[in-house]
Amino acid sequence: MLRLTGVELRRLAARRLTVVGVLGVLVITALLLVVVWNDARPLSAEEQRSAQLQYEAAHAYWVENGEEDRRRCEADWDKQPDPKPAKEELCNFREPTVDDFGKPRVVFAETTPDRLLGASYLLVFAAFLIGASFVGAEFSTGAIGNWLTFEPRRLRVYGSKLLAAALGFVPVAGVVLSILLLGTYLIIGRLGDTSGTTAEVWGDLTAIGGRAVLLVAIGAALGGVVGLLLRHTAAAIGVAMGYLVLIEGVFAGFLNSAQPWLVKLNFDAFVRHDTTYYVNECGGGDGGNYVCNSIEKTLSFEHGAWYLGIVAVVLVLLGGAVFHRRDVNS
Amino acid sequence: MPELAICTRGLRKTYRTRRGRRIVAVQGLDLDVPVGGVHGFLGPNGSGKTTSIRMLLGLVRADAGSMTVFGRPVPVRLPEVVGRIGAIVESPKFFPAFSGRKNLELLAEAIGAPRSRVGEVLEQTSLGDRGRDRFRTYSLGMKQRLAIAATLLKEPDLLIFDEPTNGLDPAGIREIRETMRGLGDQGRTVLVSSHILAEVEQVADTVSIIGHGRLLASGSVAEVIGGGTAATVKVAVDNHEAAARILTAAGMTVRPDGRYLLVDGAEHPADVTRRLAHQELYVSELIPVRAGLESVFLELTAEEGL
Repeated sequence: MLRLTGVELRRLAARRLTVVGVLGVLVITALLLVVVWNDARPLSAEEQRSAQLQYEAAHAYWVENGEEDRRRCEADWDKQPDPKPAKEELCNFREPTVDDFGKPRVVFAETTPDRLLGASYLLVFAAFLIGASFVGAEFSTGAIGNWLTFEPRRLRVYGSKLLAAALGFVPVAGVVLSILLLGTYLIIGRLGDTSGTTAEVWGDLTAIGGRAVLLVAIGAALGGVVGLLLRHTAAAIGVAMGYLVLIEGVFAGFLNSAQPWLVKLNFDAFVRHDTTYYVNECGGGDGGNYVCNSIEKTLSFEHGAWYLGIVAVVLVLLGGAVFHRRDVNS
Repeated sequence: MPELAICTRGLRKTYRTRRGRRIVAVQGLDLDVPVGGVHGFLGPNGSGKTTSIRMLLGLVRADAGSMTVFGRPVPVRLPEVVGRIGAIVESPKFFPAFSGRKNLELLAEAIGAPRSRVGEVLEQTSLGDRGRDRFRTYSLGMKQRLAIAATLLKEPDLLIFDEPTNGLDPAGIREIRETMRGLGDQGRTVLVSSHILAEVEQVADTVSIIGHGRLLASGSVAEVIGGGTAATVKVAVDNHEAAARILTAAGMTVRPDGRYLLVDGAEHPADVTRRLAHQELYVSELIPVRAGLESVFLELTAEEGL
């Protein structure tokens, strides 16, 4: 098994799609760092002038109309449908400041978790596609038949392929996330705010990165399973895209209470260690009218971990059972 | 009874089409392949040769029956003997974007063969110069040679070639034929499936003929071809009409064939010359016509009532 896994790792590394895919991921990582720089960079002189003009106009309006707007808002508050928002919140016309029109300082500890999460989407998607191609191409070219005449123990063959796909992406994901994390720290350290980056923050970020690497490895292996089940890279990509568009996009949009049972939210919950989502809850208000409110809910890390673990185990077992029994006729 | 490299009993495989129709590919095949030498596995396209080979190699599951390779039941104990088997099933399938050498290196590593063996088998199959080229750039003959090189990585005792000369030019066919004969002469067992009798006849020591997934005949080449049909001869004689009358009266079938008569049903070619000579008709040419697989096969299937 170990020898077979070593062979499969060498094959994975020698494939052109793997090389192109990894280079593509590195290029996108560089672009993400450009985005970090763009978010953190100070405003140019032209942008600062424009922000100052906008501030002056807003302040002048507030001086002239702010009190009147507040009085009118408080007078109209009674007409708001139930449940009414707090009057102090609804009618808080505070004096504008210059900072409202400038650019907020980017804080490393606050923004980096989401950047890591975004990069992990990219990595998992790339790993899934390359994993699907890695196994699917063997079936579409018929090379699997030749391979099985050298090693007929199918479950070993299957295990070695999935293990190679998963292990092959661990260093890739580790390097990419490390580049992103350290690059972000250096850029924000120069242009933004890294003062609150305590050991605890570093620990949280490392944990997010570690969990993302684990999911990238699982994504590569599941890509291999889907490639094996569908026997063609293009079919595997089609299924993945179809799922993302139809289920995560359209279905989740229509039925947002189903989100805890879809992949993306569980992915977020696992990587970010809990996540929040919103569901619309509708019903009759105090005044008898029909009211919908967007309610924030939390999906726990444990839910995400169990969900993803069960999905992965079921798919791996299904792929193994199919491969064990399948006639290889091509 | 000679030691057997391959033995199948009652082997059966049924496929289901996408429309749900059942197709019986192999129905109760009993196949014996003796150890050593070249064994031809003959049958027309669709007769179940490739399916039988795939079942032996564990690529396809048999519905019923038993198989052994070197005495080990397969597929259960196939891992114990797979190191002694080299096989090419239908057209050679390798990773097209990798070089021939890279493909062989991966296979060698998978079975624990030393990397130096790759260079040796590439040289043996005259691919030393093209080893670093991508597999997809190879001609069909080179692909076939690479597949043979792959089988030789294991230094196998049993080689299985499924339609090895399909699509090859005459030089390629000759090369493959010589390779198979050479392997058989080394004491290895070579099972070569084909639908071309002439091809098998030139290399095989023993032969099995199957049709509709069943064994129709088996034995030495001479036994099967000679025993399956009476001789056909081409006869050149001055008086066609008189010769045809004499031979027909003797129970033979006579057809004109240009300046010859084609005579079927003679027990032996000498019968033709003897009967004509008795009537003072002298044969100027007598050419035995070898039976084609088609005629042998048709005769065998007619006997079997298939």
